[in-house]
Amino acid sequence: MKPRTRSLAEILELVLPSLVIALFILGWELLVRWHGIAPIYLPAPSSIAVYLVRMIVDGSLLFNLGVTLLRIFVGFCIAALAGVSLGVFMGMSRLIAKISDPWIAALYPLPKIALIPLLVIWLGTGEAYKIVISAVTGFFPIVISTYAGIRQADRGLMKAARDLGASDHQIQIKVVIPSAIPSIFAGLHLGMGVTIILVVAAEMIGGSSQSGMGYLLIQAGQVMETEKVFASLVVLAVMGAVVNKLQNWLDRKVAPWTTYHDRH
Amino acid sequence: MDVIVESVTQIWPGQHGAGVMALDQITHRFPSRRFTCLLGPSGCGKSTLIQIIAGLEDASSGTVKIVDPAAPNLGHRIGADSVMVWQNLNLFPWRNVIDNIAFGLEMRGEPKAARYNRARALISSVGLQGFEYHLPGQLSGGMRQRVALARALIMERPIMLMDEPFAALDAQTKIVMQEELLRIFEKTHKTVIFVTHAIDEAILLADQVVVMTARPGQIKEVIDVDLPRPRSLELVGTKAFGELFDRTFHLIREEVMKSLVQQSAALEAR
Repeated sequence: MKPRTRSLAEILELVLPSLVIALFILGWELLVRWHGIAPIYLPAPSSIAVYLVRMIVDGSLLFNLGVTLLRIFVGFCIAALAGVSLGVFMGMSRLIAKISDPWIAALYPLPKIALIPLLVIWLGTGEAYKIVISAVTGFFPIVISTYAGIRQADRGLMKAARDLGASDHQIQIKVVIPSAIPSIFAGLHLGMGVTIILVVAAEMIGGSSQSGMGYLLIQAGQVMETEKVFASLVVLAVMGAVVNKLQNWLDRKVAPWTTYHDRH
Repeated sequence: MDVIVESVTQIWPGQHGAGVMALDQITHRFPSRRFTCLLGPSGCGKSTLIQIIAGLEDASSGTVKIVDPAAPNLGHRIGADSVMVWQNLNLFPWRNVIDNIAFGLEMRGEPKAARYNRARALISSVGLQGFEYHLPGQLSGGMRQRVALARALIMERPIMLMDEPFAALDAQTKIVMQEELLRIFEKTHKTVIFVTHAIDEAILLADQVVVMTARPGQIKEVIDVDLPRPRSLELVGTKAFGELFDRTFHLIREEVMKSLVQQSAALEAR
């Protein structure tokens, strides 16, 4: 039975995080007001909030956020599909692994942002370039984690399946792939993170875009609308956190057993 | 089904070309429909031997034969007549109880309704009703042990190979599972080969205890346990049990000492 009364430590744990955030914002507000800092350098949280509301009301926030999310979604889906399939094939066939290995080894450490000039030459500055750059970047962590997960499949479980009459093919499908799921999910989380970064970065590059959160940011920066810059950053931070939470929720929904995996 | 092991030797490839000999010329006939315990100190190769019998490891040399005493000329494929219960259970963590138990039938291509029927019957015989759709991670150690047992029993293979299946359980759960296994054995009379390092467990369960030496594993002595069946835990207090225990203890004690010396030598070499 759980104890009815919460200890002091528990209460602090519940209250302190939000309290610290509130104090931080309050301190920021007071600092700006007392010292009369120009909003162009550091706007007060209250004026950032005003801008945020204005952006919501005129619809620009919803539109640009929607466009960015759509690009992230498309780029991520391509990366996930390609990364998981190649990772699984590599895990199952030594030949495919041997062929893919030098390519992955060479291209993975390459900073993908460095590909932007080339992609702009090839694809122009339209949607294709933004999706390709984000999909390519998301692809690598996903393929690497998937491959590792398949290769590190529990030998004991594979032996047990064989003992219970499973064929090699059945062992692959019914044991190896499911046991790689935690590692595949870890890859998808990493892939999502870099996809978000690359979409926003691609939107920011030299007039390549007329929409998206990256565009909004760079536009506001150029005309020194620092409130708008902060408002966009707040939105991006919240968006990242929400996407992450959504992914966690989906992981638990699709593979609830991963939450008990540590109990052996 | 008799399990006939003939001069089985297992050498693991070691560093600098020198292999480590795990099993040295093991020859033994595990009698049909009898409960045999393989008893020995840690690292004596008993788990290796049972996996060779299961057809999951290849011996460096020697043979394993599965023979039906009623039809001794019929060949049997290694592994086809036996099923293993593992020390760490090896339950599939993403499959719920019923799908874990029905795994073997699913691999055989049995339709879902048929395999669920059989699995349900076993679930109630091991007392897991109401937990059909729980995941292994949601169960206690003893319950997981029952799932592993049911997953093996559903195969209806004449030979059960058990590799220290109760080693990870707490003392009370272990007792319950031992009695459960005795009940199952006395009902089905399968050929059981049970690996353990617990002397009392070996004597309580087995018709025959095969005592193994420290590495390289050899058979030191075979002790017949002619205690009456059906057995229960009350046997442990009896004089006959005590005598068998003492005899086995003296045999195993020398080997454990040897194995300790080996282990400390290995540590110093590191």
